[in-house]
Amino acid sequence: MIKKQTVFSLVHEQSVFMTAIMSMLTFLAVMALGVALAIGTGVMRWNAQWDLFATVQVMNSNNADATKKIIDNASDKIESVHEISKSQMTDLMRPWISGGGALQNYLPQMYEIKFKSKSDMATVAEQIRPHARVLTHADAMRGATTAGWKMILIAALVLGMTLGVIGICISYIARNTAKLHRRELEILNQVGARDSFVAHQMQIITGKVCALSGLIGFVAAAIALLLILGAARGARIGLMAMMGLNGASWIILMLLPVAIVIFAIWIAKRTTLNILKNS
Amino acid sequence: MEDNTAISFANVAAKYDNGREVLSDVSFNISGGAFYFLSGASGAGKTTLLRLIYQLHKPCQGLIKLFGKSTDGISRDEITDLRHKMAIVFQEYSLLSHLSVFDNVALPLRVRGMPEEKIKKLVSKTLEWVGLGKYADANPRALSGGQQQRVSVARAIVVQPAILLADEPTGNLDDENAARLMDLFIQMNKMFGTTIILATHSKKLMDTYKFPVIRVENNRVSFAGTAPRPNTSTAQPDAKDTKKVWKGPKPQNYFAELSKQFDDIGNA
Repeated sequence: MIKKQTVFSLVHEQSVFMTAIMSMLTFLAVMALGVALAIGTGVMRWNAQWDLFATVQVMNSNNADATKKIIDNASDKIESVHEISKSQMTDLMRPWISGGGALQNYLPQMYEIKFKSKSDMATVAEQIRPHARVLTHADAMRGATTAGWKMILIAALVLGMTLGVIGICISYIARNTAKLHRRELEILNQVGARDSFVAHQMQIITGKVCALSGLIGFVAAAIALLLILGAARGARIGLMAMMGLNGASWIILMLLPVAIVIFAIWIAKRTTLNILKNS
Repeated sequence: MEDNTAISFANVAAKYDNGREVLSDVSFNISGGAFYFLSGASGAGKTTLLRLIYQLHKPCQGLIKLFGKSTDGISRDEITDLRHKMAIVFQEYSLLSHLSVFDNVALPLRVRGMPEEKIKKLVSKTLEWVGLGKYADANPRALSGGQQQRVSVARAIVVQPAILLADEPTGNLDDENAARLMDLFIQMNKMFGTTIILATHSKKLMDTYKFPVIRVENNRVSFAGTAPRPNTSTAQPDAKDTKKVWKGPKPQNYFAELSKQFDDIGNA
């Protein structure tokens, strides 16, 4: 078996710089993906929570009986029904009906219904709609979930930008290394090293530095993510409280630095071959 | 009939990077197994001629053939293939300062993908021969100019090249070490038929070892002395002089060992 030895090396300062910058970029990439996954989990949990809920508002008291009859008849499709009482409604609407109290006569009759399935909800809603307004909770919360998806998109963009910067950095470092180590490259060339050999040497160096950086970046990002998720849950506010990372998410996060190392090695090889070809 | 030409120049001209012409209309053929001195004043173009042969410098005109293969427009990998059959000893040593003496000598073997255990044997023997066995782990910067030159020579001969180009390899050596080195080159030439072109200013060296001389003068080259001979009849130095200074292991033994190690590479 041929044991390949590294015959090429980075100067100390460059090695430290590369480790520092790659650690930072890996940290940012893992953070961006971690936040995207955490918000994604939150949005999914949030959506799942409200998927089977709907509120029925009977605006015209003449339709109250017909609406109630439909709800009663659909008991096989309904998990639970909560009729909001007059006093509860008064409490809910207090800011708007205090004072004259004239609005009290126009308060709608409301039901909060949990259906057994989405199709059950669609069927019953279709029957109720001629008599009353049917608002699904998912529709009512659409703004919050849309905001969640936007945050995921932004996090994904940050991730994409970070990967782009990693590519540029590695390419720059490879070019800079080739400049700094021009004499070494010449000597390697003189003693019969093929371009592929030199590129392989650069790949080994890049791989080693990026593996160490990946570990540092991942550990730092994992700690930061745990602190962020802890703080979000502690706030106990809607979507924020639902943010979280499951086992699969952590595995994906662990695979990201590995992907970054592979990406960096590929960039290093490509750049080195280009430099040598044009030298 | 088989063509034994190792190096062929046809109307070759070369310029420095600043555009100054250094060689013009150079034509010659050197047979495999020949041993030549290359002489000329400083800046005459000796190093450029060696660089042209080693494919480190492109001619601005003419055609260079190595081992019968035209080098015009060949790819980088093809140049590397040709270099795998050659070695060069530079005047300025060209050693990597971040590697030990051992690793510097092992470098050409490593880039050829030779197994480490074989590299260890070969490099240790070569270093012993050039008298640097105990400096294997040293940094080249810690060595004297003469010692660094010997490391550079060891790195060149360890690959058992078919063509060895040496730019002032004895320039920094005392008489004893210079004679020892010449003995090594002569043995390489005799036993393996290595074609050797050795650039030197030393009249003493050229007088002692009566090999034909390529003179570089006024951008042209001319030949002096005996004509090149095939590897079986290479010119020999004054044996008495060589024996007087010889202190190390016999080069014949070294080459027999080197030859065994290279059996499965077939480099020469």
